[in-house]
Amino acid sequence: MKEITLTVNGKQVKGKEGDTVLEVCEANNIHIPTLCHLKGLTDVGACRMCVVDIEKERRPVPACTYPARDGLVVQTHNEKLEKYRRLILELMFTERNHLCAQCVASGDCELQSLAYEYQMDNVRYPYSWPALPVDSVNDYLVIDHNRCILCGRCIRTCDEIVGVHALDFGHRGWKDMVIADLNQPLGTSSCISCGACFQACPTGAIFSKNSAYKGKPQECQKVNTICPICGIGCEIEALVKDNRLVRIDSPDITGKRGILCDKGRFALLSRKDERVKSALVRNGRGKLEPQPLSKAIDTVANKLARLKAQYGSNGIAGIASSQASTNSLKAFKELIAGTIGSDLIDTLDGDTYRTIIKGINGPRAQGGLDIETSLEEILKADCIIVVGANPLGSHPVAGSYIARAVRGNKAKLIIIDPAQNAFPYHATLWLKPKEGTEQLAVNVLSKAVIEKSTKKDSARTKEVAASLKDINVKQNSKRAGIDSDDLLEAADMLSKAKHNIIVYGEGVLQHKNPGLITSLLNLATIVSSQDKERPQIISLKPKGNSRGAWDIGIANSSQSIIKNLTSNNIKALYLLLSDDYVDASELPNLSTGLEFIVIQSSYLSSATSKADVVLPSPIWTEVGEEYTTLDGIAKLTSPLVKSSDDIKADAEILREISQQMKK
Amino acid sequence: MTKVKVATIWLEACAGCHMSFLDIDEAIIELADKVEFTRTPITDIKDFPQVDVGIVEGSVGNTEEEEVLKELRAHCKILMAWGDCACFGGVCAMRNTFDKEEVLRRGYIETESTYKGKIPCPPGVPALLDQVKPANHVVKVDCYVPGCPPEAGAILYALKELLAGRIPVLPSDMMRFD
Repeated sequence: MKEITLTVNGKQVKGKEGDTVLEVCEANNIHIPTLCHLKGLTDVGACRMCVVDIEKERRPVPACTYPARDGLVVQTHNEKLEKYRRLILELMFTERNHLCAQCVASGDCELQSLAYEYQMDNVRYPYSWPALPVDSVNDYLVIDHNRCILCGRCIRTCDEIVGVHALDFGHRGWKDMVIADLNQPLGTSSCISCGACFQACPTGAIFSKNSAYKGKPQECQKVNTICPICGIGCEIEALVKDNRLVRIDSPDITGKRGILCDKGRFALLSRKDERVKSALVRNGRGKLEPQPLSKAIDTVANKLARLKAQYGSNGIAGIASSQASTNSLKAFKELIAGTIGSDLIDTLDGDTYRTIIKGINGPRAQGGLDIETSLEEILKADCIIVVGANPLGSHPVAGSYIARAVRGNKAKLIIIDPAQNAFPYHATLWLKPKEGTEQLAVNVLSKAVIEKSTKKDSARTKEVAASLKDINVKQNSKRAGIDSDDLLEAADMLSKAKHNIIVYGEGVLQHKNPGLITSLLNLATIVSSQDKERPQIISLKPKGNSRGAWDIGIANSSQSIIKNLTSNNIKALYLLLSDDYVDASELPNLSTGLEFIVIQSSYLSSATSKADVVLPSPIWTEVGEEYTTLDGIAKLTSPLVKSSDDIKADAEILREISQQMKK
Repeated sequence: MTKVKVATIWLEACAGCHMSFLDIDEAIIELADKVEFTRTPITDIKDFPQVDVGIVEGSVGNTEEEEVLKELRAHCKILMAWGDCACFGGVCAMRNTFDKEEVLRRGYIETESTYKGKIPCPPGVPALLDQVKPANHVVKVDCYVPGCPPEAGAILYALKELLAGRIPVLPSDMMRFD
């Protein structure tokens, strides 16, 4: 990039060709006030706070949209410009109903800060006092149009960063307003409640119901950590006041893994599920009653030791939720497989792991989950195939990556799914195979790509081609219920694209069909560009730490243990749920034939009521632990708040039980 | 030394600005040497003498308030506005997004605790203006101390500036709208 030199306020400063005047000034620590500018978004010059004088320009121009040129002479501050800026502020305050004393954002508002900076102690213009609606239909977010300055930061964030584009301007001129979709309440629109607009809003026009009036940012302690909820591993900045979580933000919404979703940003703050506050042990009358933790640990250790002696190691089974941290899971493995010596250890999502791994390692023995690509590859893609997944619902940030690639890179989006999901309106093509013919559909698509390909076939492609030699595109697409023209169009898109990627999820995994995974991998192998080391494919895993759990080999059992509780002569079950809310309906045969059930969980549920001992788990905000993202990166969280004294880290409790048993 | 004469009025507002003024604590002793308070809500003097500085707390929402403010303006050399209500309209201006009739109906008839209410209209009760206005939209105002309420320190700063013969403009770090 060519270096350019500008004169700003009489001083020579350096910049890069292609920068705006604002960017050059910011890089040289020259402060220019802004409102509608947010780093990482396209600049639009809506607010005019950043007006500067430029030699040979007849009037002041917005620095945020003015391209910097070599030799430009810029004046950022003079009496006239300051007068204009204050005038703009006064006009903004009179346009809508900005009553700071009643506003949720007072003290954390860019409009207010600028008014202070410009000593705006009165307003000379008549107020408009428009009667404007407040939209509070969304579960987490409120749009108060009274506080809106129409800077459009929310709209650009929703479009460019989140990729959803639920928000836009509606109406004209004086009646201009931020609207969702075709002017409907946010809660009924295509909004995914990720809250990026709330973070981007410079005033109190968009705010969170769960954070409002709990504490101003300057009164809070900021803690940076990782959200472990769905396995994307988004970075978060938590605001904490008096041991209470006030607000969860992204440290940089326009940065890498910077967007959050409703689960990470809001769900925890509004969660109403009752916590397990202390250890509970079933008493003589069959009721669960609170007990000191150490006593409950003794009870569990003694009982497990007795059952082991009586029925052998395999009389006891251990099942963990993959929402638990790697630290908890390692200690769990140590207790069940080590101390107790049981072979019966599994995760609740073990079947999913076995399906994926069989699919990957099946015909051509490849390197396990490590063959999967990284999430960021989605952002670079120009053709994305989503198979049996609804990422905007299950892994919203991954979904937003897809939507962003579609909007930003003009990527083609092909959906292969018999069922409706959130993406059709983004999709270029939606292939709807008949239920049960998904694998055939994928194979036919692979065959069509091979037939279309003019590229020199690699060894990998030849191998796949051989496995598909019996497939006939026309006949088999009919059997799969897909129009062969659609299929050929998809093959055409895949062959033309430079960077294909396949994302699959629950819809594929629920079939427990490793063959389908193999077929997807084959397709990925032939459509991934040759310069890629790995086939561009990624699976959206069911729980936040699924990858971590599977990596430590906790789900290596040959069959699901939770589904076969009755057939294995299991007499006792240790269930580690951590902060996963698991209902009894997800745990078939929980009480049949079991003499002793221990559940370690953060939340009370219909499952914990069936336990003989319930041990309290902290939730992820209360401990600093390790989690592995769905694309295999181990990340550490930091504790945000302190849990009560009756709650200890899962691993600590598990180790204590181990030690007691060894005595 | 002749004392500087000051009059203050309390229009549509909560009196918080006057309370905040009293929060200047012991500084009031020093001030009392230099300043003579004439008509104020604190002294309860009703008539307007000619003063050097007039101070208005509150916004203008009815005909009486409009008249009192105009009278103060006519009797003072310098007029200072205290608080968000006088500077911008403040809390009282929240009613401006509704019709005057709607506001009266809600306040006197529809409130949950009201039984058989009616809107009072005997002669002599000042009529509501269509809209609540800040002081400078009714008369000329010379200086402002915004805040809800303004901090005692900001009020003291403004008064000291006036005593030093300057028209006060609050520095950015003293500015507050809440």
